[in-house]
Parts: sequence; structure tokens; C-alpha cells
Amino acid sequence: MMASQSKATKNAIDDYLAPATLSDALGALEDGEATILAGGTDLMVQTQSGRVGYKQRLVNIRRIDELRGISEHGGRICIGALVTITELLNNTLVAEKVPVLAAMADKFASNQIRNVATVGGNICNASPAGDSIPPFLVLDADVELACLRDGKAATRSVPITEFFTGPGRTVRASNELVTGISFAVPQAGFIARFIKSGPRPALEISAVSMALGGVVENDVFRSVSLSFGSVAPTAMRARKAETFLTGKKLDDETIRAAVETALEEVSPIDDVRASIWYRRHLVGVYLRRLVADVVQG
Amino acid sequence: MTSIAKKSVIGGRFPKPDSPDKAVGRTRFINDLELPRMLYGKILHTDRPHALIKSVNTERAKTLAGVHAVLTGDDFPEVKFGINRDNTPLKKGKVRCIRDEIAAVAAETEEICNAALDLITVEYEDLPGVFDPIEAMLADAPLVHEDRPGNLSLAYKFDHGDIASAERQSDVIMDHVFNVHYVTHCCMGTSSVIADFDTDGKLTIYTQTQYPYNYKMDLAPALGIHPGDVRVIQPPVGGAFGSKLDVYPFEPICVLLAKATRRPVKLTFSREEEFINAPTRQPARIHLRMGAKADGTITFRDVDCILNNGAYTSWGPTTPYVMMRTFSSLYRVPVVRFRSQAVYTNNPYAGSFRGYGNVQATYAAAIQADMMAEALGMNVLDFSLKNAQKSGEVSPQGSRLEDCVFTECLAIAAEKSDFVAKQNRYQAERNRPGRIKRGIGLASSIHNAGGAKIHKSDGCGSILKLDDYARATLITGASEIGQGIDAVICQVLSEELGIPMSDITIVNNDSAIAPWDVGVHASRTTFIAGNSARRAAIKAREQILRAASKQANVPQEALDLREGWVVQDDNGETVIKLDKLLRQMHFKEDPELVMTTDYYEPPSEPETENHVGDMSAAYSHAVHVAEVEVDTETGEVKVVKVTSAQDVGRIINEMGIEAQIEGGIAMGIGYALSENLQIVDGLVRNPSFRDYKVMTAPEVPEMELHFVESHSKTGPLGAKGIAELPTIVIAPAIANAVHNAIGIRFLDPPLTPEKVARAIWERDISVAAE
Amino acid sequence: MSCKVEIKFTLNGRPEKAIVPVDLNLLAMLRDMFDLKGAKYACGEGECGACTVIVDKLSVNSCLTFAVDCDGREVRTVEGLRATDKLHPMQRAFVDHGAIQCGFCMPGMIMQATHLSDTSPGLTRDGLKRGLEGNVCRCTGYTKVLDAVSDAMNTEGVDQ
Repeated sequence: MMASQSKATKNAIDDYLAPATLSDALGALEDGEATILAGGTDLMVQTQSGRVGYKQRLVNIRRIDELRGISEHGGRICIGALVTITELLNNTLVAEKVPVLAAMADKFASNQIRNVATVGGNICNASPAGDSIPPFLVLDADVELACLRDGKAATRSVPITEFFTGPGRTVRASNELVTGISFAVPQAGFIARFIKSGPRPALEISAVSMALGGVVENDVFRSVSLSFGSVAPTAMRARKAETFLTGKKLDDETIRAAVETALEEVSPIDDVRASIWYRRHLVGVYLRRLVADVVQG
Repeated sequence: MTSIAKKSVIGGRFPKPDSPDKAVGRTRFINDLELPRMLYGKILHTDRPHALIKSVNTERAKTLAGVHAVLTGDDFPEVKFGINRDNTPLKKGKVRCIRDEIAAVAAETEEICNAALDLITVEYEDLPGVFDPIEAMLADAPLVHEDRPGNLSLAYKFDHGDIASAERQSDVIMDHVFNVHYVTHCCMGTSSVIADFDTDGKLTIYTQTQYPYNYKMDLAPALGIHPGDVRVIQPPVGGAFGSKLDVYPFEPICVLLAKATRRPVKLTFSREEEFINAPTRQPARIHLRMGAKADGTITFRDVDCILNNGAYTSWGPTTPYVMMRTFSSLYRVPVVRFRSQAVYTNNPYAGSFRGYGNVQATYAAAIQADMMAEALGMNVLDFSLKNAQKSGEVSPQGSRLEDCVFTECLAIAAEKSDFVAKQNRYQAERNRPGRIKRGIGLASSIHNAGGAKIHKSDGCGSILKLDDYARATLITGASEIGQGIDAVICQVLSEELGIPMSDITIVNNDSAIAPWDVGVHASRTTFIAGNSARRAAIKAREQILRAASKQANVPQEALDLREGWVVQDDNGETVIKLDKLLRQMHFKEDPELVMTTDYYEPPSEPETENHVGDMSAAYSHAVHVAEVEVDTETGEVKVVKVTSAQDVGRIINEMGIEAQIEGGIAMGIGYALSENLQIVDGLVRNPSFRDYKVMTAPEVPEMELHFVESHSKTGPLGAKGIAELPTIVIAPAIANAVHNAIGIRFLDPPLTPEKVARAIWERDISVAAE
Repeated sequence: MSCKVEIKFTLNGRPEKAIVPVDLNLLAMLRDMFDLKGAKYACGEGECGACTVIVDKLSVNSCLTFAVDCDGREVRTVEGLRATDKLHPMQRAFVDHGAIQCGFCMPGMIMQATHLSDTSPGLTRDGLKRGLEGNVCRCTGYTKVLDAVSDAMNTEGVDQ
């Protein structure tokens, strides 16, 4: 068989903009020919390795203050796209209302990366192993997008469950910017937990990650939400297992059956980090562990 | 007159003298160096493991602006180099593994080099590959080298005594196959070299090599130049660990680029290139049998090793040379049979790596010792004590164990870790509910600690001079690769010359200046270079005291050197300041300058053809006890504590010994648990730190280190070499601890979470089925 | 070739200017344009920390940082850590504890340790280990590094 060896060349950037306002940023994105730079920790690796090419314009959104901050209004918490993982880890509102996000942040990469990597970037990168995604899935978060339409800013909210279309792919249009992520303040009694495979405490691309949320009353589980990372082409909600668990008393038999249900929903692959067998095994281990954690409060 | 008491710096705690420069970012590693008018080089490596090269088109690359040379194998007559003379710098005709070098570019920047590489097209005809050494031995296997029938590379054998009769005397015989894996050095500084020719055609090469003198001999044939015309400069390196004990193709390729362009050329690997193209530790299939009597006495070891040679031969396939020492001398082994065969495949190839075969051999031997003890109903400590050699014993291969403190190491490691009680307790707790199981494991090891006479000489040369201000310069052949020979030599000189360590300069990075040394390997540098430096210092000391004796009219034996003074030995009273004396010696009618030289050859012997000989001037033991927690659900193994007892001969620099042992343990934990270069069908699947997991700070356990001082009669001030044992012995200690925790043996490291979880799951399934 | 942009920033306390290709990383800019070779390339993807520098009081992997984004920011490298002839207390501690062997990872390790010391003074030893999890060292086994950082963090106020 004849075969030849040659490599693709990298794309060059013709234009660079670092807008200070959201509206300027949207203008810079309007023609859809821009690569967006936020923290850059994924972008630099992907472009240097040639896996991702630049578009003709690089738009650095890090100067836009409107995209920063974590706030609560009208029963919703909004996290700006530029909030870093370190900020998530140290934020008092997060600690009080959604500690699962802080727990996730603690498992995220390394201190240096947490210092610059952003929530928006982690979501837009759309890795099936993206650490922040399973917790946001469990929180039923909406991804907030903005673009220019007829010269005016237009926004839309996409449920995060509908945001991802494949590994590295999302419904974000090329002229759109993710401005933040928002979710309803969890109801009283809501408990959520996050777990990710080790053995390192962080700095791992997870072989399996998982988040589980819900309310336990009189041993019965309700408002159950369950999500997985790294076991399907995108991070995913495990709806069948959720339905199965909802309203159930959390005894061993229920949990065993819930694991079986969850395993029907996942479609893990064999890769350099783990086999299908191990990923399926960890789904069971982690689901049992998270349920036990949630029950204990 | 004042009095100066005798003080010793031996056994103290001294930072490496080069560490302040390293702390402030002042040190220029080779990766940081630039020469005037320097060009950059890059290599086009193949992307397939076995294929005929039909054509290489470099035309477009040659015309790219900024490109100065594009070379392929067709530009040179084929010259073979390497241990088996089976490698060439740039490949012609066919590629045999994905390390293979197709073309090389020199250009004004690395970016231009990369762009030029992208413009080179290669046409191949793929050939069936062979990746498993056992398959490669089959009659119909593809040949990696047409002139190597059966794909056979190197074979070793050793026989001592009669196995059949030893088997008959055995009450228990253990028989297991161990498969040890690919790992790689992961030096933080990636491979880098700078080549520069002068107008006379003499080469100056800036390299990371750990063996500057024989390096010339190995490099020159690949270039068709005389070894004498090569000057080796060794800038500071970002780690070596054995990876730089051979010449690899990127080095002659860089030289060829410099020759073609008549400009200095620097060639540096990216991390991905480093993972794919730098050497690995030698993987091995080790079929190990060991017999023992009911009382625990070992009767024999019988070993068959098959090594995956990869496509070319570096030091990896010679590691059986050390493996057989382990199998014949780890414990008293009366009868030994050893066979090994290295078989060519289309895999990347292995070099030398800290421990050099002993890591692999001890993994098998120390686990099987634990299994044997279990089978005999003995504690492994008692089994080990029963078979531990004593001073004066000679191993079947002729290792003379003088100053042997194996028993003491065993006793200390076991006592300090509370090994026996904990092992019993954890075994009893194994079947109790709970997902975390604790375990404790012990492993023993032996290694050469006074060099290894594998070359015609195992020596090291030193040149010492003292100036008019009593500052000393020691020019040594010994290379500094981060291990800390600089501090040790300063201490030894300070001790003999009575001058502060800060008044000593070490020069050791230029082959045109420093005298010969065989290289940094085999835990030899403190021992050999330390002895040589000390002997040079003693000569200088005698010259100084002779002059002082004459001048002060005091017998030479009654004088000593302390804190920059000549003093009376008995009461410390000062006689003359040393710098003043040196000036007086220098500026007199028959002037004398204090300059001494020494070439130290250790009292070791090369092996005979039958592999018998006392090849090291000293041997030492280390015993490690590892305590682990196993998560029986995820399979994660956490090393909680390591207790180490090691024969160090005598402590010279306590801080340096600790640093070597701590680092060696961390590297060995990686070998045991996480590091695994995944090579599938000849391709490296995980060429990044993201998927090749070295130990990080949170994973490293508490380490309790005990140094046992055996006071080697031949070592400098009694010291022995220490740096390899910690990496050699920790992995089997961990595997034995995991067995203690969960009752499962792992004969195939690393013990990754998945492997451990799978083994527990399979065990539970089979238990459930019964 | 990507387009170039002029940036102005503070480098080790001094105002600087540079014209950089917009896809250039900070590590390459520091090493190639400012001859600051302290920060090292060792992986190029944020997995080893050898390139760690401090930008606007936060430690970052300079290999992952766009140089162009440093416009208007303060960049501090290992070369700028000490203000006098004396070593910075963190550097001193690394030397005194024998934490430096080959030393290649140490500029990054020391910058990360300095960042932890500046931002999280009360860290426990376990917290320190976590804080250094992004810095790979192949020589030391981290024990002496942790000893050095613990020491520097407890005594820094006293030394200065």
C-alpha cells in the first residue's frame, strides 16, 4: 500500500482585537470569522498542536468587565463567562448556595490553570471531560449567548442540556458569544455532589466524572438530577436513572437498579485513559458513592 | 597564638554549590543557550513503524525562505553506529520504528524548521510490522533488519551449579512470569544539542551527555570524523537519569546540519518528540523460578528473560548484564541459571535508566520472595534474614560482599515501620467490610555501590590546584547532572585541605580541560570521583605540610590543615596561614606551585566471558517498607508511608543522600503505580504529561529514611554509591503491600487504578461463582 | 505569519514594550525577546509548571498565556524576584533545604511557591502539596521542596 506523510499547516491570524465592552466584542464577532480568546489555556494547546486552526481574527474578550462576576438576582445565580475557576473556588456566594461548584473547582487542573481558565471557556471547549459541565448539568443551568442582529445586541438562553452537539461542538453560532451561565438558586434542602476519577486530586483528564443533585426527605429522593462526563460524546444527563431514582427510598436494591439503568444510558469508549469496562465500572462505583453522600447530607 | 579545633564537614548538610544560581534563574541550561549565528535544526520523524521509503521529496522545503539545509539519508554514505552497529543517523530504504529519522532541516528559527518539515513529502510502502518479541522469534516473522536472522539481537547466559539437583533439594518451587513495562525518563529539560565546527574541521559539541569521553568514541563513527577532533562541552542539564549514556541519532544529525551549513546548529526536542524519540526503560518478560527448603533456605533461581529490543540497540538490551547479578546475588543463591534474549521488533527502543535492569529484576525477585515466604508460612522478614548474606560472602558471579549490612537494613526497616505486626493485622483485616484496605510490604535489593567495570577502565581523573589565596580548583572528569557530586567533592577537599567549601571551584564541563572519566552511571560518581578528588587532595596536603614542616621545623606528621591555617595537630595551635605559606612556596628561589593530579581506578574486575568477576568495588543493600491504602472500588493505590533503610557506606552529605533517596522513591512509585508509556502496534499512544503520569506533590508519601553506615574500606572516607537503590526497591515493596491489603499479586506493573479494580472484580466474580 | 501588535506592560517592575505576533505565548516572548531564560519550556501544555510566572499577582503557565494579553499587565519572573543582592526568602529557603538538584523546574516551582505564599499564607502542608500539584519535578520527590516552602511561608515576615 502506498501512503504518504505530510502535515497540515497552521492558520495565521490577520487581525487582533481586545474590546473593552460587550457591544464592541459582538461587533468584532459579527461576521463569524473570529476565534475567541478568554483564559486561553485550551486554545493555546489546541492551536499549537494544530488540532484547531485560528480563524482570521483573534478577539480577546478578557478586558470585558461585563462578563465578570457572580451575582444573584430574582432567584437566579449568574456566573459571568470570564469568571475563573479560582474565583469559583473562593467565592462566598458559591460556597453558600452551590458548594458543588467549588468542589468541582477544587478538582480542576492545577492552581496555575485555575487562575486563568474561565467558566465560559470550559463550557465552550465542549470537552466530554470538561470538569465544570456535569455540575452545571445537574443545576439545570442555561448558557447565555449574545450576538449582534441588525446592529443590536440580541440574546438567547440555551439549556445546557441542549448546548453540546458533539466533542468540541456546541450550538453557539460563529457570531455568538457566551456571556455567562445562569441557574435557579437551588431549592432548600437541595444537595449536590461532584466526583471525578483520580488518582491525582486534580490535574487529571477524568476517565469518568459525575454530579448528582436532589433533595432527600424521609429517605426518599426527589428532584433528582444526575450527570456524567467522559462516558459519551458529550457530558450528559442520565434521565432514565434520574426518573428511576425519583421518589424512591435509597436502599441498596434501588441503587443497584439505578446503576444498571445508568449503564444503559452511557456509551463510553476505550482510550488511552481508560477502557470501556473501567468507565462502566466507575459509573457504578461513583453513583453508589454519590448517592450515599447525598443521603448523608 | 590561637588554637583551632579539628572540625569535620563529613556527614554535614550542604546544599549543592550551584543551587543559588539555579534559584534565581541565572543558570543557563543547554536548552537556554544560543551561539552567535546559530541556526536551529529539526528532524522529520516517520509516522509509521515499518515501511519501505519509496521517495522523499524535499524540494519545496529547500526553497522556503530561511531554510539553510535539508538533509536526507541519501546525502551521506551509510555509516552504522550504536552498540550493535545497527543504527544510522538518517534512514535510507526503510523505516523500522516511529523514532526513525527521515530528513533534517536547518533554518533560522524553529518555526521555519517546522514549516519546512511540513513541506517534505515521503512516500512509503507499508510493511507488516512485528511488535511482540515472542512473535518476532517465529520463523515467518517479518525481519526488522535483513541481516539479523530470527530478529535476534543480544543474548546472555550464566550458569552456576546444577539446577536439576537443586530442584530435587527444594521443598517448594515458585514459578511465575513477570511482565515489566515501558517507562521513560521524562527529564524536565528535553533533549538538546548544539554542534559547531571550527575552520579546521574540529567539532565542538554542547551536549547533555553523562559520559563525555566515550561519547566522542561513539559519536565519531556516525560522522566519519576522528574522536580526537571532538570537544565535548556539558552545560547544565535538566535531568538525565541514565537517558544520556548513549549517542542517539539526533546528535549526529545536528552535527551533519552544522557541517552542511558551516554554522552552529541547535536541535531541541519538543515534549512530544521527547516522549516518542527519547529512550525508555527496557521492558522485559521475566520467567522466574525459585526453589527453597522448608526452613526457608533458597536452593536456586532459574530465569528466562525475553526483551523487546525495539528496532535498534541502545543499552536497554544489555541490561541482563545487571539483571543476572540481581538474580544471583539478591539473597544467598547457591545455584543459578540465567538466560536472556533480546529480539528486534518495530517498537521504539530502550536505553539505560536509573537502576539499569535491576529495577526490572528486583520487581520480579522481591515479589517472588514475598510469595515464597507466604508459601512457606514464614514472614518475609524471617525469610529474608535467613537468606541475607554476611560480610565476606562471595556471590556466584563473584561479587565480594565486604562491609555487608543487609541484616541490619532488614532489621531497621522492619522495626521502624512495625512491619511484622502491621502485616499480620492488615492481613487479618483484609476480609472485613470497608472499601479502603491497608497493606504493608517489604522488599530487599542489592546493587553495585562502587562503580561497575564494564569498560576497560572504571576510573576518574582529577587535577587539583591551589592558588596564591588558598582557593582550590578541582578539575574532574565526573559530570554533574543534578545529583550533587559538586557538593561531595567540595566536602572531601575541604576535609583534606582545611579550607572552606566556598573557596573551592569545580570545573567539569569541558573534555578539552578535564581528565577522563567513564561517566555518571552505576551509582559510581561519589565513590570513584570522590576517591580520585580525595587522593589528589591528599597529595596536595602532603606537599603543603612538607613545606610547612621544613619552614616551621615541626615534623610533618605533627601538622594539620584547619580553617585556612597550618596548625599543630595535637593542640590546634596555628603555625602559618595557608595562603601565606602557598605564596612563600610559590615565590621563592626554587618555586613550587601546588598542583596535583590523580587517576583513580577502583579495585574491581571486569567479568569473564562467563560473567564471573568482582565487577564493583563495593555493593550495598536497601530495604524498603511501603504502606498503602487500596480503594477496592476504584482500584486507586495510595502510598501512605515509605520506610527506607539503606547502606550508604558513610554519610558524606546527608542532605544530598536524602535528596537522592527521596527523588528515587518518587520515581519508583511512578514505576509501580502510574507511569506507563503505552506503545501499541509500534506507536506511542500517550506522548504527553497529560497521559503519562509522573508523580506530583500530592501523591508523594511520607518518607522515613534510615542510613546504615557500613564504612566501606574502599570508598572515599567510607562512602558508597547510593542513587539507584531507592528506585530499584520501592516498586516491589508497593506491590507486596497491595497484596497484603487485598490478597492479589500484580506481576505486571504499573498497578494502575484500572488494573487493580479489574483484578479485584475478577477475583470477586470467581469467588461468587464458586 | 500572524499579525503583530505592540504591547506595553511592566516586566519585573520596569515598563517595557514589545511587538509580538498575536499567537505568541508569553514564555516565548520572555525567553526569545527579553532573554529571560528562567522560565522553562518543558511541556508546552500546562501540565508541568516549569514555565510558571506571575501575571497581575496570579501564577500562570506562561506557555499557555498569550503574550498579547499581557498588554497593560504586570509580569514577574524568577529573575525579578529578588530586589537586592540577597536571595528572596523563597529562593533562600529552596537553597537552604537542599530542594534544588538539576534545578530545571525550579524557577517555575519557586514562582508558584511565591504565589502561594503571597495569596494563601495560612496553607497547611497538604494545602501546599495541592498548591504545587501543577509543578512537576523529576529529581527531588518534592519532600525538600515542601520543607522549603513551609519554612519560607512561616518565616518570611521575620526575615524581611
